[in-house]
Amino acid sequence: MTTYLGNFLLSLSLFFAISQFFVSKKNKFKFITITVNGLLISSLLSFGLLMYSHIISDFSILNVFQNSHTTKPLFYKISGVWGNHEGSMLLWILVLTIFNYFIFKLYNKYNSVFIAKTLEIQAFITTGFILFTILTSNPFQRMFPEQANGLGFNPILQDPALAIHPPLLYIGYVGFSAAFSISVATLTLNNNEKVPWYNYMKPFVLAAWTFLTIGIALGAVWAYYELGWGGWWFWDPVENASFMPWLLGTALLHSLIIVEKRKSLQAWVLLLAILAFLLSVIGTFLVRSGILTSVHTFALDPSRGIYILAFTALLGGYSLVLFGKKSKKYFNTNYFALFSREGSILINNILMTIICATVFLGTIYPLLIEAFTNNKISVGEPYFNSTAVPIMLPAILVMGVGPILAWSKEEKSKIFKKILPSVLLTGIMSVLIFSIYQSYSFIGIAGIILAFWIISNNIILLFKKNKNFSSGMLIAHLGIGFLILGITGSSIWQEEKITRLQIDTSTQINKYNIVFKEINEVKGPNYVALKGNFTVYDEKKNIITKLEPENRYYPITNSFTTEASIHTNLARDLYLVLGEGNLNKGWVVKIYYNPLVIWIWIGALIIFIGGIVSINNNLRKIKILS
Amino acid sequence: MKMNNTNSLILTRILIISLAFFIIQFFLNVSYTVEPDEILKNQEHELRARNISRNIRCMICQNQSIDESNAPLAKDLRILIRNKIKAGNNDKEIYKFLTDRYGDFILLKPPFNLNTLGLWFLPFIFLILGIYIVFYHNKKSG
Amino acid sequence: MKNKLLILPSIFFAIILSIFFYLLITERNPSEIPSNLLNKNVPFFEAESLFKNEKFISSQELKNEIILVNFFATWCKPCRDEHVYIKRFSNKKGIKVIGINYKDNSKKTIEWLKNLGNPYSDVLIDKNGRIAIDWGVYGIPETFIVNSSGIIKYRHVGPITNKIYKKINLIINENE
Repeated sequence: MTTYLGNFLLSLSLFFAISQFFVSKKNKFKFITITVNGLLISSLLSFGLLMYSHIISDFSILNVFQNSHTTKPLFYKISGVWGNHEGSMLLWILVLTIFNYFIFKLYNKYNSVFIAKTLEIQAFITTGFILFTILTSNPFQRMFPEQANGLGFNPILQDPALAIHPPLLYIGYVGFSAAFSISVATLTLNNNEKVPWYNYMKPFVLAAWTFLTIGIALGAVWAYYELGWGGWWFWDPVENASFMPWLLGTALLHSLIIVEKRKSLQAWVLLLAILAFLLSVIGTFLVRSGILTSVHTFALDPSRGIYILAFTALLGGYSLVLFGKKSKKYFNTNYFALFSREGSILINNILMTIICATVFLGTIYPLLIEAFTNNKISVGEPYFNSTAVPIMLPAILVMGVGPILAWSKEEKSKIFKKILPSVLLTGIMSVLIFSIYQSYSFIGIAGIILAFWIISNNIILLFKKNKNFSSGMLIAHLGIGFLILGITGSSIWQEEKITRLQIDTSTQINKYNIVFKEINEVKGPNYVALKGNFTVYDEKKNIITKLEPENRYYPITNSFTTEASIHTNLARDLYLVLGEGNLNKGWVVKIYYNPLVIWIWIGALIIFIGGIVSINNNLRKIKILS
Repeated sequence: MKMNNTNSLILTRILIISLAFFIIQFFLNVSYTVEPDEILKNQEHELRARNISRNIRCMICQNQSIDESNAPLAKDLRILIRNKIKAGNNDKEIYKFLTDRYGDFILLKPPFNLNTLGLWFLPFIFLILGIYIVFYHNKKSG
Repeated sequence: MKNKLLILPSIFFAIILSIFFYLLITERNPSEIPSNLLNKNVPFFEAESLFKNEKFISSQELKNEIILVNFFATWCKPCRDEHVYIKRFSNKKGIKVIGINYKDNSKKTIEWLKNLGNPYSDVLIDKNGRIAIDWGVYGIPETFIVNSSGIIKYRHVGPITNKIYKKINLIINENE
C-alpha cells in the first residue's frame, strides 16, 4: 500500500515538475501557481511518507529494511531517512521544491518574465532529480518476503552531528541551484530587458553559503569526536566536493556586492553562479557513481553515475555555451582601483578561485592518470598542504584589510590611522599567547597573528556600530578569525604522548598528570566495551576531570569502534584513546593535548550566525523591493 | 592470604574480568596506531619514522596514513620503516623500497615525475594567472 | 580575443566530463590498485615449507612452468570461499599451484587443508608477512600468475569469483 502511494506521489511530483517547465515557458501565472504548490505538496507528502515508514519500522519497504532497525532510537530512525542514498534523494527533491517555492514568491508583474524563466530552469533541474530518483534510486520498493527486523544498525552512523549534516549541505547545494537558474535566466534576457538580477540572486547565495558552511563544519566536528584520532579534515574527495562549492560560493558572495554597488564584474558573477552549482552536481556524481571510493561514498552503481553525468552534461553544456554566447553584454569597463574595498574583493575572488582550481586539480588528478596511463597515484593531504593551504594566507590577510578600506579608492595616508587600534590589539594578544605557548614556527606565527588581526579588526568595528559596515559581515569575519585561531593553535601547539600504562601508574602531558585508575567491562544497549578510568590532575594536584575512553564491540555488526574521551575547555582539549593491552603488560594509551580546538567550532558557529544575520537583513531589503 | 568470603569474592571478580578481557582480546586483535613498543629510542630516528609514515597511505583504509591507522598492515610497515632507519637507509631508499612493491599509490604526497608535472606545476600557473589579472586590472584603472 | 576566451569554460567542462564518462564506461574497480610488479621478475625470497623439509628458494622454484601463487590464511573467510577455484586450478594441466600461508598458525593450516583439500603443490610459511610485503600484497587473499620465465603477468586482489576464474584461465592460456 505504502509503496503504491509513495510511487504515486513521486510520479505526481514528476508531473508537476515537467508541467512547471512548460507553463513557465509560457509565463502562465495561474498554472505556475498550481505546479509550484503541487510540487511542494507532493514532495512533502512523499518525504513524509518515507519518514513515517521509518518511524513505524515498516519493513515491507525495502529502504526501511535496508537502513533501519527496531532498536534504533527515534532520532536516528528519523535521520536514517536521509542517511542512505535513496532517502537522501528524496530530501534533495524536497529542498529543491522548497527553494522553488521561494523563487516563485518573488514573482510580480514587473519581473514576471524573468522569474518565469528562472522557474523554467529550476523546473528542469527538479525534473532531472526526480527522474533520477524514480529510475535509479527509488526508495519506495517492496521488500519480499517481509522480515521481522531490518539491517540498519550501524552504530558509527548514529551520531547527532552526522544526522543533521546532510540536510544542511543540501540547503547549500540547492541554494546554489537557485543562483544557477537566476544566472541562466539573466543570460537569456534580451538586450533591452533590464532586471536587477543580482538582488534576486543574493538571498539564495547567502542562504546556500551559510548552510553549506555549517554543514561542512558539522562533518568536521563528527570526524573529530567520533573517528578516534583527533583529525577533522582529510582532503577526502567527498570533503573536497563540498569544499569547492563553498570556495566559489565565498567568491560569489563577495563579488555580488561589487555588482550591486558598481555594476562591475557582472559577467564574472554570472559564471561563478553557474560553476558553483555545477561543482555541487559533479560532487554528487563523485559520491554516488562509484567512480572513486571514499569514506562517504554510497553504494557503487555505474548506472547512476551515467545518469548524473548525462544530466550534468546537459546542464553544464547548455549554461556554459549560453554564457559563451551571451555574457558579452554584461561586460563593463569600470575598472576600480586595486587599493579599495572593491579591489580587495577582487583579490579575494581571484584567490578563492585559485584555491578551488587547485583542490579540483588534486581531486581529479588520480582519475586523469588512471584514464591516460595504467598507473594509479594518490593525492593526499601533503599535496593540499603544500599547494592550497599557502594561498589561504594571503586571502586571510586581505580579509583583514579589505573591509576597512573605503569604496573606490583608499587614501594611503589615512589607512594607517584606521588600522592603528587593531594593530595594537593584535600585538598585545599575540605577545600574550606566545608567552603561554612557547613554540615558534613561521606558519604558526603567521597564522596566530593573522587570526588576532581579523579578530581585533572586527571586534573594534562591531563595537563602533558603524552603519557603513554590515553587522552580518563583521560577525562572519570575526568567526573566521576564531576559526583560524583554533586551526593554527591546534596544529602547531599540539602535544602527543604514546605510552603503556599499568593500573595505578601515571603519565605526564603538558602540565597534566594522568593516572590510570581502573579498567572495566561495560555493557551498552548494543555493545560490550572495555572502559578505562583515568583521573587527570593539574600541577597543583587538583582533579581536573575523569576521562573514560572505551573500545566497543558491536556483536550485531561484528564491528569495533574506539570512543575517545575528551575534556574540553576554552584553552585546550585533552583527548585520550585507549589501545590494546592486558593486565600483565598494561595498556597502550594515546593522549593528545590539543590547544584551542573549541575555537574552531565556535568560529564556525559565529560564521553561521553572521550568515543568518545577513540573510535576515537581506530579507528585509527584499520585502521593500517587491 | 586467608580464603574468607570477601577474598573469594574479590578473586571471583578478578577471574571474571580476566575472562572478559580474554574474550574481548580474542576479538580485538587489532593494534591502535603507533604503539609504545614501536617507538625508537633514538629521537631523531623516531621523528624520521613518523614523518615517513605520515606520507605513506594505509592501503586498506579510507584516506589514512599508516601513522594514524589501526590496520595490521599499517603496523607491519611502521615497524619495517623503523628497522630500515636503524639499518642506515635514507628516506629516499625507504620510499623506493615501498613504491617498488606497492607502486606510487602508496605515497600520500604524489611523486614528482613526468606524469605528475601538471599536478605540481598547474597551481603555480593558476597563481601567475591570478597575479597577471591583478596587474592588468591595476593598469586599466589608471 | 574576449570571445574566444568566453568559450573556454565550456570546452574545459566538456573535456572533464568526457574523462569521467570514459572512466565510468570501462570496467574498473576504484578500490583495486594495479600491481607494481606486473611484467617484472618475481621477488626473491626464501621460505620454510609447510610439508616439505627443504627450504624453498624462489629463484630456483618459480620458473620453467606457469605458476599460480596464492596468498591465503585460515583466519580469512574469503580464502575459504575461493578455495574451490584454487582446487580447480590445481587440476589444470601445465600449471603449478603454490600457496603462501600469511601470518598463520602452521598446525591450523595443516588442519584446514586436510578438511578442505590441499590444492597446493607446495605451501610456504610467511609468518611475519614480509614475503607478502615483497609481493605488494595488501589484502588477503591475493593471487598471482607467473609465467615460465619467472615474470609476474597478473594479480588479483580478493577472492576468486567465477568471472575472475575465467579471466585467469584466459591469461594462463595466453602465456602457454
